[in-house]
Amino acid sequence: MNEKPEKLIDKKGCRLDGRKADELRPLKLEVGVLANADGSAYIEHGKNKILAAVFGPREMHPKHLSLPDRMVIRCRYHMAPFSVQERKSPAPSRREVELSKVIRESLEPSLFVELYPRTGIDLFIEVLQADGGTRCASITAASLAIADAGIPMRDLVAACAAGKVDDTVVVDLFDLEDKLGVADVPLALMPNLNAVTLLQMDGILTPEEFEQAVNMAMEGCKKIYAMQKDALKTKYMAIKEEVEEE
Amino acid sequence: MSLKASEQKSGQIVLPGERLGVIEEYIPDSGTYVKDGVIYSKIIGRALMDMLNKRVSVYPIVSGVTVPKVSDTVVGQVGNAQSDNVLVRIFKVGPKKISGVFTGILHISDAHDRYMKSMNDVCKPGDIIRAKVISDKNQIYHLSTANKDLGVLYGFCSRCGNLLETKRQEMQCPKCSNVERRKTASDYGKEEL
Repeated sequence: MNEKPEKLIDKKGCRLDGRKADELRPLKLEVGVLANADGSAYIEHGKNKILAAVFGPREMHPKHLSLPDRMVIRCRYHMAPFSVQERKSPAPSRREVELSKVIRESLEPSLFVELYPRTGIDLFIEVLQADGGTRCASITAASLAIADAGIPMRDLVAACAAGKVDDTVVVDLFDLEDKLGVADVPLALMPNLNAVTLLQMDGILTPEEFEQAVNMAMEGCKKIYAMQKDALKTKYMAIKEEVEEE
Repeated sequence: MSLKASEQKSGQIVLPGERLGVIEEYIPDSGTYVKDGVIYSKIIGRALMDMLNKRVSVYPIVSGVTVPKVSDTVVGQVGNAQSDNVLVRIFKVGPKKISGVFTGILHISDAHDRYMKSMNDVCKPGDIIRAKVISDKNQIYHLSTANKDLGVLYGFCSRCGNLLETKRQEMQCPKCSNVERRKTASDYGKEEL
């Protein structure tokens, strides 16, 4: 798909990868994949492949970064050099530094930071393969990893993007739509509390289109949340049975 | 109707953010939080609805966050040592190894049940010790080794670094026959790390 296609949506309303406008890419979630992390999760969202790991709460190092009244969250979003078509330098780019901050701030409202003062948690997000919408997939995976670590949370955070390609508002954009499309609206949601923790937009939308995009992204988040729940329950049902057998 | 729904939930696995009831029905207990009068779970665990006492709690399935608490037994390595206190890098809380470390402080007055003149007779930098948390005010962990089963688990020779062996009241290095003093735990050299 190196040459630029003329139309991103065909006459039947199908997108380049054959999806309808309100259809998500296939999603696979797995919890507890890394032995050495306190909590971990793996997500395959379309062609995105992302690992998330959580360590802590533990003493901050260097110690002066810790705060006397709350837990500090550190987040590192990183893309592997082989995750994109052209080799990416492994050094953190401007974009990765910004995404680290954005992901951290979208997860912070879901945590009880005041419960563990003078400590910190470290969140590592490694993108192994990228195909658009990695920030949303990262948030979804990171939230699962935090829940897996047993850290008290207000709610899980699910994230999904919506946007506009050609003249249609669509949900869950992939790389090509993201680059050639008109606008992109990533959104993160705590579904039980119905609270939005991340809302960004780039591109141009009319107020009506924006509202439609937000609603579509929220619907997407709710679908993703159901899958997050399944992933956690699959792991913990197995553990529960083991405990009961003993 | 709502009673029926909550009875079905008791014993079931719940996830963070799952609604358990309202404060008019239950008193929220451990593993839950309240927002706008609604009780939610904040951890992954089994929901326990106590219909007699009208309490709802979530019992964690696997041990979650491990932060040292008062009366916990911890294992750590002695770091910076001064004549009257040492810093301990705690890497094990109870039975669980933690990722990263917490720093604890062991003062000479808490090192033994009798008077100790110098910290050099208790432990030395590099030793692995077992201690009990006696205070966690302001997240500064004060430790104590004043018990038979607390104290040095592995001591190392300050001259050659070899593992010391117990010899009556004292410790001896099997390599360079250097004699040192430690406040050892009753199961010296047996703890699996």
